[in-house]
Parts: sequence; structure tokens; C-alpha cells
Amino acid sequence: MSTVIKAADTVDTHGVDTHGGHHAEHHAGWVRWLYATNHKDIGTLYLWFAFAMFITGGVMALGIRAELFQPGLQFWQPEFFNQLTTLHGIIMVFGAIMPAFTGLANWMLPLMLGAPDMAFARMNNWSFWLLPPAAALLLISLFVPGGAAAGGWTLYPPLSAQAGMGMDLAIFSIHLLGLSSIMGSINIITTILNMRAPGMTLLKMPLFAWTSLVTAYLLIAVAPVLAGAVTMLLTDRHFGTHFFSAAGGGDPVLFQHIFWFFGHPEVYIMALPAFGIVSQIIPTFARKPLFGYVSMVYATCSIAILSFMVWGHHMFSVGMPATAQLFFMFLTMLIAVPTGVKVFNWIATMWQGSLTFETPMLFAIGFVCLFTVGGFSGLVLSIAPVDTQMHDTYYVVAHFHYVLVAGALFSLFAAVYYWLPKWTGYMYHEGRGKLHFWWSMVWFNVTFFPMHFLGLAGMPRRIPDYALQFTDFNTVASVGAFCFGLGQLLFFYNVIHTIRGGVGPAPASPWEGGNTLEWEVASPAPHHTWESPPDIETVRRGLIAQAVEEKP
Amino acid sequence: MTSSTAQRKNQVLAVKLGLLALLMFGFGYALSPFYAAFCQWLGIDRADASLTRPGTSIRVEFDVNVAPGLPVAMQALDGVVTAQAGGLLKSRFVLRNDSDQALTVRAVPSFAPVRAAGLLQKLECFCFDALTLQARETREVTVVLLIAEQLPLEMGAATLSYSLQRGAAAGAG
Repeated sequence: MSTVIKAADTVDTHGVDTHGGHHAEHHAGWVRWLYATNHKDIGTLYLWFAFAMFITGGVMALGIRAELFQPGLQFWQPEFFNQLTTLHGIIMVFGAIMPAFTGLANWMLPLMLGAPDMAFARMNNWSFWLLPPAAALLLISLFVPGGAAAGGWTLYPPLSAQAGMGMDLAIFSIHLLGLSSIMGSINIITTILNMRAPGMTLLKMPLFAWTSLVTAYLLIAVAPVLAGAVTMLLTDRHFGTHFFSAAGGGDPVLFQHIFWFFGHPEVYIMALPAFGIVSQIIPTFARKPLFGYVSMVYATCSIAILSFMVWGHHMFSVGMPATAQLFFMFLTMLIAVPTGVKVFNWIATMWQGSLTFETPMLFAIGFVCLFTVGGFSGLVLSIAPVDTQMHDTYYVVAHFHYVLVAGALFSLFAAVYYWLPKWTGYMYHEGRGKLHFWWSMVWFNVTFFPMHFLGLAGMPRRIPDYALQFTDFNTVASVGAFCFGLGQLLFFYNVIHTIRGGVGPAPASPWEGGNTLEWEVASPAPHHTWESPPDIETVRRGLIAQAVEEKP
Repeated sequence: MTSSTAQRKNQVLAVKLGLLALLMFGFGYALSPFYAAFCQWLGIDRADASLTRPGTSIRVEFDVNVAPGLPVAMQALDGVVTAQAGGLLKSRFVLRNDSDQALTVRAVPSFAPVRAAGLLQKLECFCFDALTLQARETREVTVVLLIAEQLPLEMGAATLSYSLQRGAAAGAG
């Protein structure tokens, strides 16, 4: 803990020792990034790392779709195909989406809250630099004897207890990723709770801060549980324990319970920050305050609390008493209520607003539409007797890609286009941004919508070969996947183009309806911002514009 | 608030959150004994060592159906039973006559898969004879199965289903 305490020395909350934590600026070149303690530098590192992992996981996805283009084995042996599906899942969840949200929180929270930096700058550096070794472990595992982990991202024993050393590397990687998440969360919570601008009470802070706060709490509660589960797996594999080995008095089903106690809140760890981003963007481009701010906060909290009580819906087909099935089924359905409140509020925010459809808004609206589709297929799967039929079919694959790609990923695209002017000081090319949106929107649906049909027709997930009747929809999905993947090169181009000057300099507040504090600082945001906290009038003006504070 | 008290506040919160994370790590481990206790308390069957040696045990599930229109309720008290090869298995059922007159019923057994019938021999069964239930009577009945000495490796589980029919007073099972 001494590191943590020391790290605090480097950050000054408002005032006295403002140069303490900013050794980074004295370093040039790559050393600047290695020693980075500035929240903007670390945010940038997180975002680029997430993008690199997104491309890595994406290439694996294309490997999967290439194999599934037609029946039969074309490119990979089943063993390698299973490694691809497993690593694709782990990399996208832990390497791409979660770090991207942490990166956004790092970049934006201090700016939006009026804080000079994150609470613990050096721990922040450590949180990030644990990620590259974790990613390296996963990638190296592809080349060890027996190959990478191949039992699915859920790592169920007994398969995972018998797998080769690739599984050990995956376990260590998950340890590092978990540690990084926990430290990142401690930083986020402390920054939000202790370092807000004067006058910004909890129920007046931007919704992105709220969702980040709740997400960080979820992570602190469940990341250690996953760490425990994989540690038990590790000791079962090598040190003679029998947590999950029936021969020694353990039970493999126990792993599933522990995993999903982590795994279901994890779903919301990937969804709640997206809700926060969309709740910032829609009011900006509707030029209206967010409808139902307080109900949004309560919905966020209720989703988080419910997420701890529904893990059993991932295990309907494992076998459990009917009473337990009903318990998990009804509680799962209950989550649709706060989520419905959110969707309602987003629509009500747009209702009679002065809408314009810049790229961030398009991605946000795309998010609302497609996330709702994913939510509804989730409701279908929550019905225990239906789930018995759909379990481990492509319907489930379709469902969670609607939630995670059109949900989390689209919100991340929205966030990048929304804040890119603030980060780079330049405007992106609107036409190419829109092209990126429409391209992604169309090909996403071409890829994943047919998977609903495949699942309903009974195609199982995690298989390299399939029965002939599934050919047509698989071909369509594979074409869609390659086009979707190709479109992300346009995203990369758009970002690089903007960094290099884009279509011209961006004003401090490029969006007409932006009322949160980050738009009060210059574009690009200077290396140090809010070294003295924003004055109470500036804060109040923004809060009144967001309708979270009454006009005097 | 001065800089150092703000830092102090941050550190205290960080330590608390760190402790929460440690606590949750321990919670993950605590789930292991909780799980065992929970399964025992609720009577849920869970994996045990006998299941890891294929061919030495069999899981028998009991299913009950009542013919349409027959005012009798039937329930398996031991829905799922795991038994050892060469051992005995006992399962209980409860029958309840919901009508105001005496009824004679007969339970017709069937196995799935069918060849399980040869491996699970009924030593004693309420299905051998027709049963007469008095008006509003509730009765507990049993079946005792002898499991074959040698179980085929692939025979992990079998279902024994009883269909309750309106029966004649006489007859043999």
C-alpha cells in the first residue's frame, strides 16, 4: 500500500504544489509515456492500447468468420479455431472495451469534474503499464506447446483444468488485467468522490461520472472474485487442490457460479459507461438537458445492484432447482425496467429537441436502437424454458454482440468523435465520420442479424464446421464481418487525419449544446487543466444549462 | 481544504477500497464451503467422487404423469437419485386422491433409454399391483431398484417414468 500512499503525494488537489506530479513533461520521446503520470497522457495510452487490442481481437474474429464462410474445414484445425474464439473473447472484453472506458474516464473525468488530475497519478501509471504485459502473455500463449487457452472465455473446468500451459498464461494475464482494473477503479472512485469542483454535488455531476463511479464499484466488487476463481483453477491444475475436481470432493459447477458472479456484473461494467457517454452526447446534439437526470442515476444504481443477483441465468442448462430458475428468471427480467427507463429518457431527451446529426450523435442514436435490440434478445434468453433451447447457440452470440459491439463499441466511437476536438485541437472530417458510422451500422447488422436466425435454427456456437443448412446465413455474416472490419481502417484514418490537423482548428466548445466543464478549457486541452478549480459561477452556469440546478 | 488534508482523505478512501477488494477476493474463496453447505441444505445433488469413475454409478431420474381426468396427484419425493453399480436404490412417491370416492389406480412404468430396463431391476414396486386409494387419502409408496453389477460406460443416466392410469381392481404388475 506504500506505493498508493506515495502516489498521492504527487497530486495536489487544487492549489499548493501544482508541479509535484508532473515529472512526465521533463521527459521526451517514449520515456514520456513510460513515466506518464498526467491523466491525459495515461488516457491516451489506454485508448491506443485498447485500439491495438481491438484490431488484434478483430483479426481473430475475421479468422473465425473466414473459417465459417462455408462448411467444412478450410483454414484452421478445430483446436486452433477454439483458441481463436477464446482469445477473441478475452482480448475484446479485457483488452479492448474495458481499457477503452478506463482511458476515457482518465481523459475526461478530471476535465468534467474540474479536478487537476486523477487522485493517484503514479498508481495510474502502474494501472496502465500492467496491461501490455498481460496482452503479451495472451499473445505468447498462442505459440506455447498445446497452444492458447481454448475452452472459451469462460474457462470452465474440467476442460480448463486439463488444458496445456496456454491456460496458465491466460490465468496470469487475467490476474494482471484484474489488478489493473482494481487500481484504475480505486483511482476513479477517489477522483469522483473527493475531487469535484465546488458546487458540483454528486447529484449534479455529469452522468458519465456517475456511470464511471458505479462501474468502478462493480469492478472492485467482482474483479477480485474472478481473480479468486482463476487462482483456484491454477492451484487445482498445479498444486493439488480440488476446488473444481469432483474426484477430490470439489465440483466443476462451483466454478460456473463463481465465474458468473463476476461475469454478470462484468456485462454491466461494459455497458454502464456506454450509458454515461450516450447520456452526455444526446443532450448536446438535441440541445436540451437530459430528460430525467435523477431517474438515470437511480436506474444506473439499480442495474448495478440487480447485476449481483442474476448470475444464474447463464446456467439454466446446467441444472438447478425450478425455484432457483424462477428466481434468476424474474430478477433478470426486472433489469429491463431500469434499462427501459434509460431508453425512454434518451428518447424523451431527443423529443422536440433541435436535433443535428453529427457523427457522435449518429453513433449515439445507433447505440440506442441496436442496444435495445440486444436488450430484447436478452429478455428472450432470460426466459428459462426458452434459454434451454437457445443456450450455446448463435442466438446468444447475436445477443451479446448487439450489446457489446453496437452497444459498448458504438458508444466508444461516439465518445471518440465527440471528444476528439478536445483531445487534438482539430475537427475531424464530418463526411468521413458519417461514412464510418453508416458503414459500421450497415455491416454490423449484416454480420450479426443473421446469427439470430442461425441460433433459432439450432447452430451451436464455438464450432469450426457446421451442417449444410446453415451455409447461407453464415456466408452473409462472414461477408458482413470482413466489410465491418475493413471499415475500422477508416476510423483509424479519421483519427490520424484529425491528429494531423483534420479540417481545421477546433474551438474550445465545438458543439453548440455542450455544457459540461470540459468545454470550458481550450482545445486541445492543455497538459495541465483546472490546476485551480473552476470558479463557482462557471460551474453553476453549466449546471443550470444541464438543468440539474435551478435558475437563481 | 488544504492540499495535505485532501491527500489524506484520498489515501484513506484508497485504503478502504483496497480492503474491499481484498475482502471480495476472500469472498470468492468463501463461496467454495458456502456452496457445499448450500447444496446440502437445499438437498441439491452435486458432483461427487463416484461420478468421476465412469461405469460405477448411474443417475436415475424419476418422472411422473397422471392420466388426464384422473383426480389423483402424484409426486416423486426423490426426483434424482445417484446409485452405485451392484447397489440398491430406493425412491419414494406420494399419491393423493383428490376425489370424494375411492379410486383404483395403476402406475405404468417406462424406461428411457429402453435398455436401462435390463440394468435396473425392480425388486419392489408400487406398480406391481393396482392400488386402491380411499377418498381424500394420501399414501406414500416406494420403488426399490437393483442396479446391475456392470454398467456400460456410456450409461451415465436413465429416466424411469410412471404414468398413472385408472386401473382395474385385480391384475399383476
